[in-house]
Amino acid sequence: MKLFDALAHRQLVVVTGKGGVGKTTLAAAIGRLLAAGGRKTLLLEIDPRESLHQLLGTEPSGGQIVKAGTRLTAQNLQARAVVDGLVREKLPVAALAKKVIASSVFQHFADGAPGLKEMAVLGYALRVVEGHYRHKADVVVLDAPATGHSAAMLAAPLVLADAIGGGQLGDMAKDLAAFIADPDRCGVVLTALAEEMPVQEALELIALLREKIGRPPELVIANALYPPFPSASSQGRSSDSGTGAVLDLWRQRRAVNERELKRLRAGWKGPLAEIPLLPLDRGPDLLAAVEAVLAEELA
Amino acid sequence: MNLGPLNQRLLVVVGAGGVGKTTLAAALGLQSARGGSDTLVMTFDPSLRLKDALGVGEEARERAVKVKSGTRGSLSVALLDARTTFDRLIRRYAPDDAAAERIFSNRFYRDLAGNLAGILEYMAVERLFEVAGEGNYDRIILDTPPTRQALDFLEAPDRIVNFLDSGAVRLALKPWWEQGGGLKRIPMRIAAKGVEQIVDRVVGVRLLHDMVEFFRAFTPLYDGFRQRAGEVRTLLRAPDSLFLLVSGPGEDRIPDTLFFARKLKEAGHRLGPIVVNQVHPVAPLPRAAAPAFADGLSLFHYLGERDHRGLERLRKLLSRAEPLLAVPLQAAPPTDLADLEALGRVLLSQLAR
Repeated sequence: MKLFDALAHRQLVVVTGKGGVGKTTLAAAIGRLLAAGGRKTLLLEIDPRESLHQLLGTEPSGGQIVKAGTRLTAQNLQARAVVDGLVREKLPVAALAKKVIASSVFQHFADGAPGLKEMAVLGYALRVVEGHYRHKADVVVLDAPATGHSAAMLAAPLVLADAIGGGQLGDMAKDLAAFIADPDRCGVVLTALAEEMPVQEALELIALLREKIGRPPELVIANALYPPFPSASSQGRSSDSGTGAVLDLWRQRRAVNERELKRLRAGWKGPLAEIPLLPLDRGPDLLAAVEAVLAEELA
Repeated sequence: MNLGPLNQRLLVVVGAGGVGKTTLAAALGLQSARGGSDTLVMTFDPSLRLKDALGVGEEARERAVKVKSGTRGSLSVALLDARTTFDRLIRRYAPDDAAAERIFSNRFYRDLAGNLAGILEYMAVERLFEVAGEGNYDRIILDTPPTRQALDFLEAPDRIVNFLDSGAVRLALKPWWEQGGGLKRIPMRIAAKGVEQIVDRVVGVRLLHDMVEFFRAFTPLYDGFRQRAGEVRTLLRAPDSLFLLVSGPGEDRIPDTLFFARKLKEAGHRLGPIVVNQVHPVAPLPRAAAPAFADGLSLFHYLGERDHRGLERLRKLLSRAEPLLAVPLQAAPPTDLADLEALGRVLLSQLAR
């Protein structure tokens, strides 16, 4: 489990990738593996529409911590709620915090300031592992929001530290930037499909991570691969009538996967896990199957 | 080729990321040009392969580039770039070069404004308006940036304009604004008290100062921006503008698709057919397959079932007046104009049904 060990001692594992690549499923699988390995794990989803609970087979979180297994909890948070929470923490006097949150300058700032919400989410994760809350965890697995570029999320503290230049937010941004940049504490897992645009974006993201946080991701996962097409020798009388078109589609889609995997490997020499497309609907069964494959890939 | 209900002056292609919007927009553009309409496809970030297929490169960021399509009408492609458009707008509305330079050199603009939530979407509609106003095309097809939520795209212009509204900012930043600028003076402010002082402490004086400076520099430009946003709003709701919603296959995409459709209609937009893209074909369960093929064929059987289950459910949830087009998963992404042409024909043949 060399690869697994590389992830296992982190305090924060950020799972990034565009929408529609199965990012949430992979984040949940990583969370379950870490919990099974003995670490108290919080799975954190930042999405206005919850979907993590469908995979875990739990109640929707609605902002609360939900138990999802041995040593495993899950939580769905709204980014804006985290920003407000941040102010409440910084201002111990509740009435004052309320005033600030309601003030128009703060509203304006919280809605518009790029990177602020992202930073607040990362800050929340940091405080969870540092034990600021009752629900302390050894590690937070963050299913990063699908919108925008995920490098922007990871780079947010650095950009903000620079732009803010002072104040408590600025100080916090500096702390977070150091946390993200520390390979012993924070890990990044990049998820993609083996198709042209997703691979292009994955390669760009790897370059951006190197540039913005000074290091590449720990792991790249190529998800939902069509199975290898059987070699010519095993073909023989392979099909009854009507499967010819399907076989053709299979062969060609797999060829696209292989071509793009090759391109990905040419630009990414680090660890790459391959997860097949599975004949299962989104839900606990799919999660269990993905977890099993991922465990083997990381071994 | 008859575009049927898609025979509109403006087609806005919307949908979640990764569902093949850009490729469909290009395929539709080609069909439109074949039908004799001078057509422009505006898109964000096409794949290299699609750019190659169309034969356009980076130069399309600066201006629309004609595709050698050999069609009766012309086909042009413009690539959208948020920062370039924002810069250009500032130059246009700034009263003089010095005013523009003040904004360009502002730290808030440099570091943050290019990343403002919704700026990409705003710049897309902004550029759209610019091009539509020139009147060089019979039809414009706008491929929108991938956003998880329809609202992001539809609300971006208003949100950005509200954000840039220096009147509102002035009110919000009043205690800071009235300091009269000057980085040195702000930290020495003695009168700051209560909430202001806390905002100073939490947000940081330098950022607040940068923001004030930015909005101050922006004030003379604001009216131009606001007027433009209003015109854009009207254009998107014009009777010959139609939204084409593209969705991925599978049941788990249905909530997103319905949500999108509802929001579009609520916002007063005309919603055209909903396109479910990349649908796996119905595949028979393998009966006599060689062992090496059995698992793979079972998988395709499952995928075909899954996608058609999703289609059926979506069909049930939509009204009769909302046609649903299923575009089969293509064996490989289009690599040339002939591939794009074939894809466009598949789409239109669905329309004709």
